[in-house]
Amino acid sequence: MLRMHNLSKVYRTQMIETHALRGFDIDVREGEFVTVTGPSGSGKTTFLNIAGLLETFDGGEFTLDGVDVRGMRDAARSRLRNEKLGFIFQGFNLIPDLDLFDNVDVPLRYRGFGAAERRERIEAALADVGLASRKRHYPAELSGGQQQRVAIARALAGSPRLLLADEPTGNLDSQMARSVMELLEDINARGTTILMVTHDPELAIRAQRNVHIVDGQVSDVLRHPASLVEGGGRTATSLQ
Amino acid sequence: MEIRPILSALLRSKTAPLLVAIQVALTLAGLVNALYIVDLRLAASARASGVADEASVFHITTSPVTKPSHEQAMAQRQRDLEVLRALPGVAAASWTNQMPVARSGTTSSYSIDRKQQRPSLLMGTYFAPPGLIDTLGLRLVEGRDFQPGDVLEIDESKDHPDGTFPTTAILSRRAAEALYPGTSALGKPVYLGTGASAPEMRVIGVVETLQTPFAQAGAEGEHSILIPLSVAGQYPRIAVRADRGQRDRAMADAEAALRKMSLAPRVVILRSTEQDRTGRYRNERTLAWMLVAVSGLLLLVTGSGIVGMTMLRISQRRKQIGVRRALGARRIDIVRHFVVENVLVSTAGIAFGLVLGLVLNRLLVTHLQLSPLPPYYLVGGALALWALGILAVSGPAWRAAGIPPATATRSV
Repeated sequence: MLRMHNLSKVYRTQMIETHALRGFDIDVREGEFVTVTGPSGSGKTTFLNIAGLLETFDGGEFTLDGVDVRGMRDAARSRLRNEKLGFIFQGFNLIPDLDLFDNVDVPLRYRGFGAAERRERIEAALADVGLASRKRHYPAELSGGQQQRVAIARALAGSPRLLLADEPTGNLDSQMARSVMELLEDINARGTTILMVTHDPELAIRAQRNVHIVDGQVSDVLRHPASLVEGGGRTATSLQ
Repeated sequence: MEIRPILSALLRSKTAPLLVAIQVALTLAGLVNALYIVDLRLAASARASGVADEASVFHITTSPVTKPSHEQAMAQRQRDLEVLRALPGVAAASWTNQMPVARSGTTSSYSIDRKQQRPSLLMGTYFAPPGLIDTLGLRLVEGRDFQPGDVLEIDESKDHPDGTFPTTAILSRRAAEALYPGTSALGKPVYLGTGASAPEMRVIGVVETLQTPFAQAGAEGEHSILIPLSVAGQYPRIAVRADRGQRDRAMADAEAALRKMSLAPRVVILRSTEQDRTGRYRNERTLAWMLVAVSGLLLLVTGSGIVGMTMLRISQRRKQIGVRRALGARRIDIVRHFVVENVLVSTAGIAFGLVLGLVLNRLLVTHLQLSPLPPYYLVGGALALWALGILAVSGPAWRAAGIPPATATRSV
């Protein structure tokens, strides 16, 4: 689904050159739920931005769902992003002036779906996250957890091949975080590949695989981390 | 098109869009009426005076230092005409009392029946010998020019019996139509004033166009009558037509010649009909250019308002634009978003502006006798403001399109 090999990303200013990613390798298979952890400044967000085609990279290879994205033009990247990816952000990033229906509608309009199909997808996505009855409410009228559910509905409405989540529970209390995590697990169980960046070790170990990044490189990969924790492997806290 | 969600978003934060819409409305209302007034003024200043070739015609006004006797004045005038006609480059010269668009002259009331309580028409009154029509290049469309026998010479210092007045007259077409609508005025009577003693003249000719010296707005600016009345007058005037291209030289020669052969000291003033036209319409042109400048300023201010509103909305929504880009918006989608948003705001302003423009025009029609605004001004004004809006918004919108999609994942 997503494959990066020897990927590098350098941020340059007049004075400083920062290697955000170097020799970065990862292979996310279809249907996987992968969490990405690492200390602040380790390159998690850079990795997620590149994986989500939000940023370009300087070297290496990157294929997304079989498409080589090197040198792809901006409009083509937008199209690929819209068709294959769904985003969930830490700060929800709903558009405050649009109601829930119109928020979920945003990526679908860019996709060029007709009105009837859009309506069907929006209502199904909002029903999936349990907010169908509130489609004419505005984001400010919802709790943080509900807003994140709307963001998940927006990400899912276009039937993405890969869901990218950037600290999706970072702004939520533990109860809401658990509920959102359960929703993501449910989505993954229905076949959607999920790549989630998180600081929360408890959530990180619930995935099928945890990728730990340090200094722009993958330092550790744990398969079924929850079972390892239970079996005396790396502890949850060591994931931070 | 994403009109509904954009409209919905605009309605939720409507202060800035509302202000811009009001600005668009005021601009449209002001613009169409101002430009219409400009058009009317410029059209008025371009009206034909009746003089065939204004670039070749000039006139000379003399002002004797001491009042001459009637005989002396007539002798001077005759001698002036002879000298002028003999000058190289002078095609024709005739005495008269006034010139079209010269802003100085005589108007009198005329009627078509002595029993009328009120006169029929106020007309610019030209005293004209045979040949003035030719000198000015007026186009005779009916009847004939005066003949020497038609001319009545009057010594103003003496008393004359009632009714001593020329018996023939030539009208401008507008005057003829006003006095005798739907029928030819030829051979019909025209009375100076009303009442039993009003002098009667018979119309012997009609000229196509002859503006009054004041060239008023509307038809009355072309209500003129030529009467074969010869008087010395306080300020004798001679109309001269030069050969094409010879006017300036002829004016210089004429001035020199008249000064040289004056029988008595006098002031000699020469003016071309072109100078008269410039002087007559100077205020109109000044007003027109002022209105054009104000209109341009209005458009500039409105354009700046749209740029300002768009910049503000972009700076408030940087993150949102990044999110849209992350969700699949291409750069052109972001540009289109802001253009559509602006078109919606402009359309609301234009709709209000059209109503406001018509109300303003109604006030101008009522208070300034302006004619009603033609619909194409409103259509043109609306299109101009739409175009201005799109032009003003396109720069900021392209800059917004440059906001990177990674902005969506930044925490600030």
